Amino acid sequence: MKHSLMVKKQTVKNTTYAYGFHKKESSVFKTPKGINQKIVESISDHKNEPSWMTKIRVEAYQIFKNYELPKWGPDLSGIDFSGIHYYNSPSNKKFKNWMDVPKDIKDTYDKIGVPEAEKKFLAGVGAQYDSEVVYHNLKNEWEKLGVIFVDTDTALQKYPELFRQYFGSLVPTADNKFSALNTAVWSGGSFLYVPKNVKVEIPLQAYFRINANAMGQFERTLIIAEEGSYVHYIEGCSAPIYTGDSLHSAVVEVIVKKGARVRYTTVQNWSNNVYNLVTKRMRVEEEGVGEWVDGNLGSKINMKYPSLILAGKGARGELLSLAYAGRGQHQDAGGKAIHLAPYTTSTITSKSVSVGGGRSSYRGMVKIANGAKGVKSFVRCDALLLDELSRSDTYPVNIVEEQDVTLGHEASVSKIGEQQLFYLMSRGLSETQATSLIVNGFIEPIVKELPLEYAVELNRLINLSMENAIA
Amino acid sequence: MQLRKRIMNYKLRIKKENEEIVIPVVWIGKEKEINYDISLDGVGSSLIFLMLLLGEKEGKVKININVNHQAKETKSKVIIKGVINDSASVDFEGLVKIEKGSKGANAWLSANLLLLSKTAKGRAMPALEILENDIKAGHATTVGKVNDQELFYLMSRGLSKTKARDLIIQGFLSGFLNDFPDGKIKTEALNKLKYENI
Repeated sequence: MKHSLMVKKQTVKNTTYAYGFHKKESSVFKTPKGINQKIVESISDHKNEPSWMTKIRVEAYQIFKNYELPKWGPDLSGIDFSGIHYYNSPSNKKFKNWMDVPKDIKDTYDKIGVPEAEKKFLAGVGAQYDSEVVYHNLKNEWEKLGVIFVDTDTALQKYPELFRQYFGSLVPTADNKFSALNTAVWSGGSFLYVPKNVKVEIPLQAYFRINANAMGQFERTLIIAEEGSYVHYIEGCSAPIYTGDSLHSAVVEVIVKKGARVRYTTVQNWSNNVYNLVTKRMRVEEEGVGEWVDGNLGSKINMKYPSLILAGKGARGELLSLAYAGRGQHQDAGGKAIHLAPYTTSTITSKSVSVGGGRSSYRGMVKIANGAKGVKSFVRCDALLLDELSRSDTYPVNIVEEQDVTLGHEASVSKIGEQQLFYLMSRGLSETQATSLIVNGFIEPIVKELPLEYAVELNRLINLSMENAIA
Repeated sequence: MQLRKRIMNYKLRIKKENEEIVIPVVWIGKEKEINYDISLDGVGSSLIFLMLLLGEKEGKVKININVNHQAKETKSKVIIKGVINDSASVDFEGLVKIEKGSKGANAWLSANLLLLSKTAKGRAMPALEILENDIKAGHATTVGKVNDQELFYLMSRGLSKTKARDLIIQGFLSGFLNDFPDGKIKTEALNKLKYENI
């Protein structure tokens, strides 16, 4: 059945990207464009790091140099590794009081709304501007309980034993080209340590901002949740729109000890000139719970597959992945669940929306090792294609080496239901409103897991880009 | 055994309008590799691809199935069912691609594997690439063992464990086998499965 109400050929106007402004650059220390051993050493030197860290960085650089770009997935040949600044420090001080943050940096975060959010509903905030974290604060009540929430560079100086024990324990340097690059030039990121049985009831947040042109941001985040603890960590990202492409390549390692629970929420909203290539991994021990909530809205090419390594008996993992690909965007998102222990369970839910010529791909893997009895895993991916220009792919891998398991995988691809659209329009909604409503309903299972402020923001962003997509 | 027999390559283009093709395949451990490359070029053409995998002993197979929708109103249904015993292993990769312009295409891809032993292994990768929005496409995978509750129920009614298990396997395959066109392949499969009546 075809009628005139069908979504017509859609033209895309320039998307209004609310965070596209940029502040004049004023850096304290900036490496020249490109990367070589000297630059890697100078970053380490500037940070006054112990010699073992310098050694790790230099080794990582050698690995990075020798690795080829991945032969699968989106085309990364457009990245000009020699045209990027790998380190740019906007300020040589870190601040614990918002009023002390330099004015132009403060203005940026004021616009994004970080201080407001901190006042209202967060236990602590970290803010990274280009390569360095400029502001980090944890509310006193949590500090008293022994929670450590600092930037990763400070952690290396102040808690070297803890740092050394876990750094690279889940994502080894040689894991892939971009984990090697991150290890070579990493700077900033959050270091979060939650002691035994401490439950941080309100979320902690980090906000990443790229400001300089042709900049690479390589933050490194390490989260350790001791036995029986709980924490919810949220990260947000944005960048100005420049003509030159930027590269964001982070490594995130999360250790969830026995009976602990960690939720890691990302709302990735980079501007459409950022390559976002991130390695995220979580190891969950006995009876622990690990959760990824991964919202991918921005960036030019996004490759991000948060992984759950379920290593202890009865560990539980959950991944909610949302990808929204507009014009010129390729969202290659998904996730992995690796079941190493008996009675572990995982659920992966992926929702993707492609519009205005965007391409979204789900790439995922479930592996059940021999001996992991009683494992249950369920994967569900749904894709919505809004017009004729867009594309949607699904690449799931399921590997089962154990008999006593239950594994299910389901996927569907569809366009907007004409009947739904017709119904809503017959009630007086415009085509744009009706489409937005249907898209918001489609992604609802993921949005409802986000903190309220983020959920509202996400809905607003989707409505905004929908208005631009459906002329 | 001759080497060329162990790799099966098959290419097919369905060119005629509204042509319907049914391809039944049964694997009982002979081939090492099975590759099918099928393209739906004719408007309204349709494909039903049924594959039964019966793995035992050290049998290992790599299966690659590509289905390409190139025309309007094309339909494809690829159903793989496997019963894997002993140390057998199945490695399945399927790709259904719907090219731009194939309006009204409808694709379904599913793989269900039943593992009968502790050392049986399965890998399934059913992928979709969709470049057209006016379509329907879905895929599903399940991997699991014989349901303990069903087994217990049947045994409580006096069936031996082997008998009960065979009955569950028959149930797992019955609807699927009914879709198989009659002929040598079906008879062979039924014999292998020790079907008494269907």
